[in-house]
Amino acid sequence: MSEKGTGNIRKQPVLETKHVSMAYGGLVAVNRVSFVARKGDIVAVIGANGAGKTTLLRLISGLLTATEGEIWFKRQRVDGMAPHRIAALGITQLFQDVQLFLNMSVVDNVMVGCHVWAGGGFLSTGLRLARARAEESRMMERAMSQLSLVGLEEKASASPASLSWGEQKLLGMARALAAEPELLLLDEPYGGLMTGEIEKLSLLLLDVQHQGVTILMVEHLTDVVMGIANQVIVLHYGEKIAEGTPAEIQGNEQVIATYLGTEPGQGASG
Amino acid sequence: MRRTILTDGSGRRALVICAAVLALVPLAAGPYFVAVMVNVGLYSTVTLGLVLLMGFAGQVSLGQGVFFGLGAYGYGILTTQYGVSPWAALLVAAVVAGAVAAGVGRVVLRLRGLIIAGVTLTVNLIFYYLCVNVSDLTGGATGMALIPRLPSGELMSHSLFTYYLVWAVGILLLMFSLNLVKSRVGRALRAMNALSGGSEDTAQVLGVNIMRYKVEVFTVAAIYAGIAGGIYAQYTSCIEPGAFGVEFSVRVAIMAIVGGLGNPWGAFLGAGLMVGLTQFLQEVMPVIVGGPTGAYELVAYGVILVATLLFMPQGLVSVCGKLERRARMLVKSRRSCQAGENSSV
Repeated sequence: MSEKGTGNIRKQPVLETKHVSMAYGGLVAVNRVSFVARKGDIVAVIGANGAGKTTLLRLISGLLTATEGEIWFKRQRVDGMAPHRIAALGITQLFQDVQLFLNMSVVDNVMVGCHVWAGGGFLSTGLRLARARAEESRMMERAMSQLSLVGLEEKASASPASLSWGEQKLLGMARALAAEPELLLLDEPYGGLMTGEIEKLSLLLLDVQHQGVTILMVEHLTDVVMGIANQVIVLHYGEKIAEGTPAEIQGNEQVIATYLGTEPGQGASG
Repeated sequence: MRRTILTDGSGRRALVICAAVLALVPLAAGPYFVAVMVNVGLYSTVTLGLVLLMGFAGQVSLGQGVFFGLGAYGYGILTTQYGVSPWAALLVAAVVAGAVAAGVGRVVLRLRGLIIAGVTLTVNLIFYYLCVNVSDLTGGATGMALIPRLPSGELMSHSLFTYYLVWAVGILLLMFSLNLVKSRVGRALRAMNALSGGSEDTAQVLGVNIMRYKVEVFTVAAIYAGIAGGIYAQYTSCIEPGAFGVEFSVRVAIMAIVGGLGNPWGAFLGAGLMVGLTQFLQEVMPVIVGGPTGAYELVAYGVILVATLLFMPQGLVSVCGKLERRARMLVKSRRSCQAGENSSV
């Protein structure tokens, strides 16, 4: 079924959207979009600016509430659920502009990612109870291992503002992965990266995929997407116009006409 | 990110030094200074809560006077009208302040940004008029008198007893706050602080229940203010609504900004400076320059607030940090010079 992710038939569906729509008054940003993402797959959503890609991610993470349709995650309906509850179920999002917390250090940023699975409230942390101290150690250990994964362990105590754009993207990834998600939502993860950084991020994403994490990414760099994704969804003015493997999408005449703009097999960009 | 004595570990060294100095101060100082320091302690405790709320969680409140007042009136009403023991009344009054904050917070904190400041200020005005008008309970505009004091024993004066009480509470709450801000909770608060480099959306997708944290930190800040209010009521033995008005809340907010919103120590520095300055302006300036007592306070507050925002936006605590780092560098360079001289000899 897929060139890269073999055995899709056996894979369990992790995310399913059923006729999901998002309308702002008369403007329909996402129009009855349905698709299934399976465990361990990399699913890419492509489309021109204003196609509704980012809106779709925000609907899944709970930052927006769908005006129509249903979103299911691991057999649980999540549309209308608060974002922090959706995060607790195993969905984490990395924004296009990363949105690092500039008021804390690099390692503290990653430790916020651990918030979702760690324990400790006002009383236990304020009184430094043994349980809270143990949780703090666990979070620190996890954060340092994530920083080491993206090669930023040397900059643990630095300010995120002192990092290059590529490093900031990697830090955002480390923070998102610290949440131990089952579904990772990435909004243009390659945006603004240099060639070497793109390769590094691709390797990281493949590594994450091999750990069983499902990745749903919105991306403009179609040639990169076609090289890494198992499944590609094409949105056009909020509607899904195509879905399939990268090879299928590259050969789809409607997609070529509306978005890719190149001959099949020739590859495409941006 | 360099560490200083105010930020190392859990700030234990600085806490121990402060506690020791504060314990010894009354031995050398007279009753007037002790009374001023009681005021500093009370303001510091209220400001500390506001630093957590405003500096860490990014929720601007101009209504801390409500919770200080609830603590004071709660203590006064429970002890004078219901015969509750002073210690129990102090505890219950703080809990009442926290419970009211939890209720108010659930409504007010749904709003975002500086609108919260306007709404909390309005709540403070409503509280003031309630205190004036529900005279059966509060004594109306004239307030309450003959409020029982906490039993201080015969070893020390009541003023000195209150001094030790307020500073013991202040140091304990500072320890609690320092632990808090370096923990999972503190990071969650900073993560959702949109006023200072955080983002509510990002915090939420990482699992932070921002509404819960906003209400909880609002409640904690109210409990701090409620404790201070209770201690204030037993200290003065008489309270009136004017002490818990908007002016009090604005003064506390200025103390928090001047001291530094990014560090719990800032609350103590801000309160110390502003109370000290107020005393100076009230006592000394009329003698030197003339004019009525209290004529210079508001002008001075305004000047200090503007100067802080312009020249040290991170507050006094950042200046202290810089001074400490410079002193350390000086000591280090002198030591290396001495070592060089010794080796050459």
